[in-house]
Amino acid sequence: MGRMQRPARVVAMAALAALVAACGGLTPGSGGSSSSATTASSTSSAGSSSATGSASGSDSASGSGSASSGSAGSSGSGSASSGAPAVPTAVPTDTIELKMAFTDSPDMTKALADAFHAKYPNITITTQYTQFNDYVKSLKLTMSSATPPDIVQYNAALKDLSAAGLIKDLTPYEQAYGWDTSFPKSALDMLRVDSTGKILGTGKLIAVPAGLSLVGLYYNKTLMKKAGITAPPATLADFEADLEKAKAAGLTGLSVGSLDTGGLHLWGSLLNVLWDPQAQRDWVNGKAGSTISTPQALQATQKVGEYASKGYFPSSANGTSENDSATAFAQGKSVFHINGNWAAAQLAKALGDQVGFSVMPPATAGGKAVGNGFSVSYAVSAKTQHPEAVAAFLNFLQSPEATKIEAEGGFLPPNAKAAPAATGVLGDLVTANQKVVGDDGLIPFQDFAAPAMLDALESGLQSVIGGKEQPQAFLDSLQSVWSEYHS
Amino acid sequence: MTTGNAGAAQAAVLDEGVASVAAPAARRRTGLHRRQWSALLYLAPAVLLYGLFVLLPALHTFWISLFSWDGVTLASWVGFDNYRRVFTEPLLRSSVLHALVLILFFAVLPILLGLVLTAILSRHRRRGMSAFRVIFFLPQIVPLVAVGITWRWMYADDGAVNQLLRAVGLGSLTQAWLGDFDLALVAVGLVGTWTLTGLTTMLFLAGAAKIDTALFESARIDGAGAVREFFSVTLPALRGEIGVALTVTTIAALASFDVVYVTTNGAPGNTTTVPGLLVYRLAFTDGKVGLASALAICLTVLILLVVLVINTLVGGQDRR
Amino acid sequence: MRATRGENVVGYLLLALMTVVTLVPFASILLASLHAPGTLIAGLSIPTSPSLDSFRRAWTAASFGRLLINSAIIGICVVPLAVVLATLAGYALAVLRVPAGGFFFRLFLLGLTLPVELIVVPLYFDLRSIGLTDTYLGVVLAESALFLPFGVFWMRTHFRTSPRELVEAAQLDGAGSFTVLTRVLLPLAGPAVSTMAVLFFMWSWNQFLLVLILLQDPTTRTAPAGLGFFVGQYTSDIPVLCAGTLIVILPIFVVYLLFQRKFISGMLQGAVKG
Repeated sequence: MGRMQRPARVVAMAALAALVAACGGLTPGSGGSSSSATTASSTSSAGSSSATGSASGSDSASGSGSASSGSAGSSGSGSASSGAPAVPTAVPTDTIELKMAFTDSPDMTKALADAFHAKYPNITITTQYTQFNDYVKSLKLTMSSATPPDIVQYNAALKDLSAAGLIKDLTPYEQAYGWDTSFPKSALDMLRVDSTGKILGTGKLIAVPAGLSLVGLYYNKTLMKKAGITAPPATLADFEADLEKAKAAGLTGLSVGSLDTGGLHLWGSLLNVLWDPQAQRDWVNGKAGSTISTPQALQATQKVGEYASKGYFPSSANGTSENDSATAFAQGKSVFHINGNWAAAQLAKALGDQVGFSVMPPATAGGKAVGNGFSVSYAVSAKTQHPEAVAAFLNFLQSPEATKIEAEGGFLPPNAKAAPAATGVLGDLVTANQKVVGDDGLIPFQDFAAPAMLDALESGLQSVIGGKEQPQAFLDSLQSVWSEYHS
Repeated sequence: MTTGNAGAAQAAVLDEGVASVAAPAARRRTGLHRRQWSALLYLAPAVLLYGLFVLLPALHTFWISLFSWDGVTLASWVGFDNYRRVFTEPLLRSSVLHALVLILFFAVLPILLGLVLTAILSRHRRRGMSAFRVIFFLPQIVPLVAVGITWRWMYADDGAVNQLLRAVGLGSLTQAWLGDFDLALVAVGLVGTWTLTGLTTMLFLAGAAKIDTALFESARIDGAGAVREFFSVTLPALRGEIGVALTVTTIAALASFDVVYVTTNGAPGNTTTVPGLLVYRLAFTDGKVGLASALAICLTVLILLVVLVINTLVGGQDRR
Repeated sequence: MRATRGENVVGYLLLALMTVVTLVPFASILLASLHAPGTLIAGLSIPTSPSLDSFRRAWTAASFGRLLINSAIIGICVVPLAVVLATLAGYALAVLRVPAGGFFFRLFLLGLTLPVELIVVPLYFDLRSIGLTDTYLGVVLAESALFLPFGVFWMRTHFRTSPRELVEAAQLDGAGSFTVLTRVLLPLAGPAVSTMAVLFFMWSWNQFLLVLILLQDPTTRTAPAGLGFFVGQYTSDIPVLCAGTLIVILPIFVVYLLFQRKFISGMLQGAVKG
């Protein structure tokens, strides 16, 4: 390639341009299916140097697959959210098989699928589990393939795909089913995205929640006693004192696995309690002018490095996966563990009454309950052949049957009133969830801020833990990823 | 491609000088030259498939590399800006650097080890060599993903490597190898050494077996010891094999993906990122398809350059 | 040359050492896989009561049956396609007088050094636009194309070394170029073709990056790609993870043992994976 001579390259490019014009699907910009507008704009770019093109074609893919709601107009901006045509809410009666890709809580997901099948025996849902890191990595590829799963667990990557027309706009179903009243407003608003796919909280609904998630502090009561800790920490200072006590007693304070996620939950939770929740939300949601280069974020990052150097968590953290760190806690190898509610079922099974859960202790006594959380929610492929069956499943998520399963899975169900009373760590979770919702303290995960953010967070936090990067440099790198995406 | 035989490429280049002189004469004698256009029919299917699935995508990569494109929405022309980024952004630059470091472990070390083993083993025929050969080739036929998983477990906190260190009283050295900033790249590199040393050794032994025994005899009559014998007889004779081994293993280092993907995925920090990993990550998760393409082009140019240099260094004097 | 006793001992000691170094990793996963699922093990440890439960667990958890069949289908399609095309092209370049033959040959030579990374990005978008991602056909065509440079080179080399007198004699008898290939050259090319075939099969079986991207549907994934996803799910369950790894290794291992001579001769002539 590199040694190809100049005339040859010109010829090759001309040939390529001709070919592009012929097949219309080869240049960047054409997305999946091609439209004549895309081809025209990209072919012209072969001659001139500007190829920004018009906004057309950005929704070219939405024309494929099933008959989609809204007109496939050429403006590409929110056509469906207003005045959407009515969609049927009758559950189909023919035999239907739906595919569902997900990454959180295999047991709960399977139970939901089975319960739905029990209610509507003609509809079967096949679930496909993928571990979180691989799930995020492959999600774009999966959803833009020719045969995507019908239902897909929501992740930030879906925002971009929705802008490309690959994710179904659920607003018409929201209106037909009346989800705006049967689901909590705050939970649905988190799942709205504008037509650019970059601004959250407004625009079309692209997913429906099965339960709210929350990251917090798990503690092992037996080991706490052994270390001389009498109660779960009430403030961050208490927490650090407890970690010191654990160390003095020869125990591992925290179980952290940063091999695949960089210890994201530890950092995120510290950030949550140290920085203003609304500022954090703005940053994640991409509000113009937001920055993470703040003294509070710096303090949170410094603490991560400090905990590592003080030996509050094992030096092998960078060689331990997230899953392994949860397993280690489940095996009684550490006093504390910061993780999401999705781990509750597994931990309760292993540790029984020994394990408890609380929100991350606030910076000052009596501070607000805050925590990283989102919802386990499900979006729909624009290519699904069975939109009515899928919508019926989404509607099923707030039914009493589903509510029971969601609560048992450790989530705060969308229909909280129908949730059964819970005990043990699951009861702790409900309490914590309600506190956080009551204090309006739920903060979406930091990696949602930009597609490349997860990688930047992972490698950066590993470096902070390994003492290889200064906290400020880490924050600057995050901000540059943010700026590049939101520019 | 990487799966193909780069060594053959090198041999082919050596071969060309001879071929271009000898072949036309031979062909003229066969009298087949009259059917030249029908001969294209034999060639066409291969050229077509190769062109459509390799050459055209390669050109297309170059084309995409001139755009800023997230893979879903419209692309915008940025000219050579993506190339500027490959050379200036630390993340991308360091990935190329890591690949160059891997050459040490994938190419240099296996070749040195192979030469040492050859020096000791080649002087005499041994029984049972064919059985050893079957074993030494084993790492070559196993999927690299499986090799990666195997070593991930070997290197784990309670894996065999640490177990071995404890057994020999070096317990203080035990650690999570793949999680250490200074050692992770070395650890990944040594997986390459493990995979490729069997190959280089067998390659050199096969080459040494072809050496005329008279050369050894005369060296011995001159009073050469084992060491001098190796440097004056064996090593010069292995020139071609070393070139092949160097080409193959260097490409393996530069284009590595599988092992890194399953062992560290670039971690800790970005200490083990390699270009292949970033091409995949940038294009399919980070939504920077143009940048990924530019990196892929740079990687390819680097490989072509290295192959060229190796050919010049090793092949130069073999051209008759 | 006869070895002195000392040399002999040193030589065998070295061979033994290298054998151990080569085999320990395999032994490590084999021993681990014989433990019950979920067992916490440390390094090389012999299971007190060996069981195949981990294999059963891995087999069902990752549907390895399906994955192995997918790999086999792709391999079985790639081999004949690539072999036939490579043989025809190698024959044309070695024996026939092809217009611009030198150019075409160089084009194929170039392909020997191009990394998969170079083509995989546009290949994905191009194949997707014509509906060939998530299909066996797309992967079969792409892999065959990837293997062609080696195949063409290999067959060309072989045909160039075939005795020219036979070709000439056949031509004097009035044989056409196709007859020369099928009746005269191919019967002698058995070893070369079969060596190439086993190498193609191995490369196809072991291909990772390409299938990781081109096959997203879990039901079409190949065994190595499935293993790549499996490792994320079973990081903490070493016995099951190791069992899964062995399941993927085993088929190619059996093929290797069956055709070891071909593999080794092929690889010694420089045909190695990268």
